[in-house]
Amino acid sequence: MAVPWVSDLTLLAAILATLLPLCSFLVVMLFTRSHPRISAGLSIGAMSVSLLCALFLLNEHWHMEKPLEYAGRWLVSGSIEIPFGFLLDPVSLLMLAVVAVIGFLIQIYSLGYMAGDPGISRYYAFMSLFLWAMMSLVVAPTLFQLYIFWELVGLSSYLLIGFWYEKFSASQAGKKAFIMTRAGDVAMFLGMLLILLHLGNLSILEIDSPALAARMSPRLLTLSALLIFGGIIGKSAQFPLMTWLPDAMQGPTPVSALLHSSTMVAAGVYLFERLFPFFFFSPDAMTFGLFIGTLSMLLASTMALVTRDIKEIWAYSTISQLGYMIMGLDAGAFFSGAFHLTTHAAFKALLFLCSGVLIHTFETNDIYELGRKGGRSLKVPMACCCIAAGALAGLPPLSGFFSKGLILEGLADLSNPVWLIAALFGAFLTAYYAFRPIFIILFPREASGEPEVHSATSTSKDHSAGHSSSHYWLMGWPLILLAGATLCLGFLKAPLEHFMGQTALPGVKGIGHPVWLLYTEIILAVGGVGLAWMEFGRRCAQQVGFVEKIPALHRLFAERWYLDHFYGWFVDRVIDRGVSALFTQNDHRVIDGSIDGISRGTVETGRLISHMHLGMVQYRLLAMFVVMVLLAFYFFF
Amino acid sequence: MPMEFAGFPFLSAILISCLAGFFIILCLPEARAREIKWVGAVCSGMTLALAIYLFFAYDKSRGGLQFVERVQWIPSLGIQYFNAADGFNLPNLLLSGIVFFTGVLTMWELEIRVKEFFALYFLMVTGVFGLFMSMDLFFIFVWYDVSLFPMYPLIAIWGTTRKEYGAMKLTLYLLAGSALILPAILYLFVQSGLNTFDIVRLMQPGTFTAYQQKFAFILLYLGFGILAGVWPFHTWSPVGHVAAPHGVSMVHAGVLMKIGAFGVLRVAMFLCPQGWQHWAQLMALLASIGIIYGVLVGLRQTDLKYVIGYSSVSHMGIVGLGLSTMTVSGLNGAVFQMFAHGVMTALLFSSVGYIYDRTHTKAIAELGGLSRIMPVASGYFIVAAMAGMGVPGLASFWGELLVLLSAFETYPIRGTLAISALAVSALFMLRVVQKTFYGPANPKYVDLQDVPFSLGVPRMILVTVILLFGFFPSLLLDMIETASIPFINGLPR
Repeated sequence: MAVPWVSDLTLLAAILATLLPLCSFLVVMLFTRSHPRISAGLSIGAMSVSLLCALFLLNEHWHMEKPLEYAGRWLVSGSIEIPFGFLLDPVSLLMLAVVAVIGFLIQIYSLGYMAGDPGISRYYAFMSLFLWAMMSLVVAPTLFQLYIFWELVGLSSYLLIGFWYEKFSASQAGKKAFIMTRAGDVAMFLGMLLILLHLGNLSILEIDSPALAARMSPRLLTLSALLIFGGIIGKSAQFPLMTWLPDAMQGPTPVSALLHSSTMVAAGVYLFERLFPFFFFSPDAMTFGLFIGTLSMLLASTMALVTRDIKEIWAYSTISQLGYMIMGLDAGAFFSGAFHLTTHAAFKALLFLCSGVLIHTFETNDIYELGRKGGRSLKVPMACCCIAAGALAGLPPLSGFFSKGLILEGLADLSNPVWLIAALFGAFLTAYYAFRPIFIILFPREASGEPEVHSATSTSKDHSAGHSSSHYWLMGWPLILLAGATLCLGFLKAPLEHFMGQTALPGVKGIGHPVWLLYTEIILAVGGVGLAWMEFGRRCAQQVGFVEKIPALHRLFAERWYLDHFYGWFVDRVIDRGVSALFTQNDHRVIDGSIDGISRGTVETGRLISHMHLGMVQYRLLAMFVVMVLLAFYFFF
Repeated sequence: MPMEFAGFPFLSAILISCLAGFFIILCLPEARAREIKWVGAVCSGMTLALAIYLFFAYDKSRGGLQFVERVQWIPSLGIQYFNAADGFNLPNLLLSGIVFFTGVLTMWELEIRVKEFFALYFLMVTGVFGLFMSMDLFFIFVWYDVSLFPMYPLIAIWGTTRKEYGAMKLTLYLLAGSALILPAILYLFVQSGLNTFDIVRLMQPGTFTAYQQKFAFILLYLGFGILAGVWPFHTWSPVGHVAAPHGVSMVHAGVLMKIGAFGVLRVAMFLCPQGWQHWAQLMALLASIGIIYGVLVGLRQTDLKYVIGYSSVSHMGIVGLGLSTMTVSGLNGAVFQMFAHGVMTALLFSSVGYIYDRTHTKAIAELGGLSRIMPVASGYFIVAAMAGMGVPGLASFWGELLVLLSAFETYPIRGTLAISALAVSALFMLRVVQKTFYGPANPKYVDLQDVPFSLGVPRMILVTVILLFGFFPSLLLDMIETASIPFINGLPR
């Protein structure tokens, strides 16, 4: 399907949008490593053009009848064909715009945040690589291409999380992120192969069409859906592969903002959206997904109740919000997941960027300390942070309220009320943990809370670069823009729903609008915020959370339900000292041992034979005689 | 003496430039180390240039054997000097050219007994090139031994860790391999009754009975398999890699192990397709065990070169798995992986070589924080490690992808086992990268210099090749397909 691409503005824009970040990565890595200003400029310049292209595409194709697909030959091997191309439909166009906007804002913000860091060129190069991988993932027309960029997204987040590689915790976190997501990817790869065997290709549009269900037996379909869901679990940090995400905050804060909002973890949910009809055909996989989403949402919420590290709180909130999205999608409400992904991208980036300003200024991650050092004096970041936390909590009229409401509506349509109840409980917890740090920072107590027994010893001493007011404003205006988006996005629900619904998705349910649900949602959100106020905000509050009053529960939550202990044990005991040690011993003892045995045997045999060679004439004569006799027997008888 | 040449004998020209280098170096006095190195660079550069020319001059639309050179040598025994290029050996010739050239450049800083080193090095590579291009069984056996013999002195004299042991072990293993190959070749020669060693004539269907093929195949597979590091005959390879000097490790892991796999393909599979079909199950089993075994043993290693050695065992397992699938994509993937793995390990050993020459240690625990001290040298290693994990955009991704894909189709369980090694291989590579390059800089090494441009050339070439074929895999795959499709289609059903 060769297309005269120069004359086709759409294709040109798609190529530019995805390719420019790659170009800036290569140029920075190869040529401008020693010129941080040029590197940053190149990277931001490339990204701004990408952004314009993405917005152009969104605008151009706001009314779209059927998905546009471009594909060129890339690789053919036997019966396997791997084309390279673009799939432009509402799902990908919206996500492309989201990634481009957030990526661009974060790159601007980084100018201030990273100022003075010796590795700025490397930072911008990796950022460009990251954005290239994510944007190409979004527009991939085949699962193959998606998988390739999926891996590259993993690679670039590995590089960025471990950006300050001299810090052990950072390199450890990067490694952990890569390996845990890789474990999910193995499952996804297997699922992909299963589909390939039955469908003959991996075109996303064909996987989404009902034709696939006709070709595969329901059991195989469910199996492949579950396997692919394994990849989503890894990437979107769902249970049980969730613990890499809180560690991933070891990277620079803008990286966390990008990672948590629109790229790495969003890729998992995006894949779900992409293959939504495919998952929809296997109800068992949908139920399983619902279970995993709910479990992750609740577990992460409980973890967020107790941690004192501000970035860690937002990290847990990401897991739980991703859990919501997966719940919404698994409930069959396609738009709710997609919409929550969009709103979440804005408010979560905002939360991290605001926290970044606080961390940058006060050089600590601990919420109590941030409060004591005067976090409330930073007016703009704190105001933005409150807006974002409100959206996270689901307070009307912020964007999170609308999108979470849609998910709840989707869950209410299910016959089993358990999911809805869990989601409502989660909404209450979310409101509570979102406002706990806000109140602690806004209303510091002199002798606050408990002594720092188990406190996070301000993990990220990010860096102590001077912060002038120009940096402050570079970091400030992305915040204001994102805060604006958080305020407005909720009201774009109707047009976005129309946009996303244009290309008919099979099996998407109509969503009812029960009014009582709306009120319940508001009451629970307000209730959560109220509880946080009672415990942390009001004048006589002790600033001790209700969980902290139950030590056992507190320890369980603070230790992340002992998931990390399990992985540590598994890698150390089962893999390292178990199988690996066994095989190493086998190499030394059994394989080498037997070979050495053979060689020793040869030497010994030689020595034995050499005993016969005594060099005495009579023995030689005897031997000659014996041989003659034997030969005589051989010839004559 | 009847001769047949299709135009200028480019293939022989490769051999001649190797041998010319060998003889010129022999004639130069020992003291002229600089000139010896330059002769080495020029002659190996010529082989690379010829290999590149052949790679692009090959007519893919026509396929088949091209650049044929045939000279009857001993007609009474049916031995002929018969070289040709096809889609299977061209990638390997290109690989040998790349690794040879970059290997010479990597050894640029060598100061001890330069003359002997380069002379032996050239002799070894002559054997490698000869084996890849030859279509005559007798010559294949001769070239095989030519490439093995110089290994022993190369390791025993210029090597490092336990070099005598490593050299002895390697030589004995490989001689054991040739002790299996020679009887198999003679057996096939006798049984065919055609009085020829010509592979093209011997591979005609119906030459051998199914029984003969099964018997000869297993001998050839084990014989060449030892050289390819097939589990459980792999232990020579990490030991040998570690003991060898860097340039030799590069050729050794990068090209010599490919000779084994290529021998399985060119001799065993070409001549005994039914034997192949019979033993494929076993091949797949050994290969998938090797894949997972290699990474798991690699996890426990504390020496940088041992780590790479075991990763080679695992990656060569992927080649073996691809060869066992009996599908076009499996074969494509296997040959692609031969190439990709060759370039990747060459880069790994080349980078380790630079680091070792500066720090004088390969123990992972003693290194650490090298990224701060030598960012460029570390960068090269990290790129190669990423390639080892099968990161997309780097060449080895495609080899692994195609092999795993067809393995999963043919052998679901063994394929799944091999695919699950992907996660462990990430653990294993990233752990090495973390311990060696990340963390605070070791004060002992703070004054060390990063790779200067002149010494970086071989690594840059290798990185470029990895990226080039990572982004444009069809450059190589289209070539391999010209051989693999007719071969698979010609199989007896």
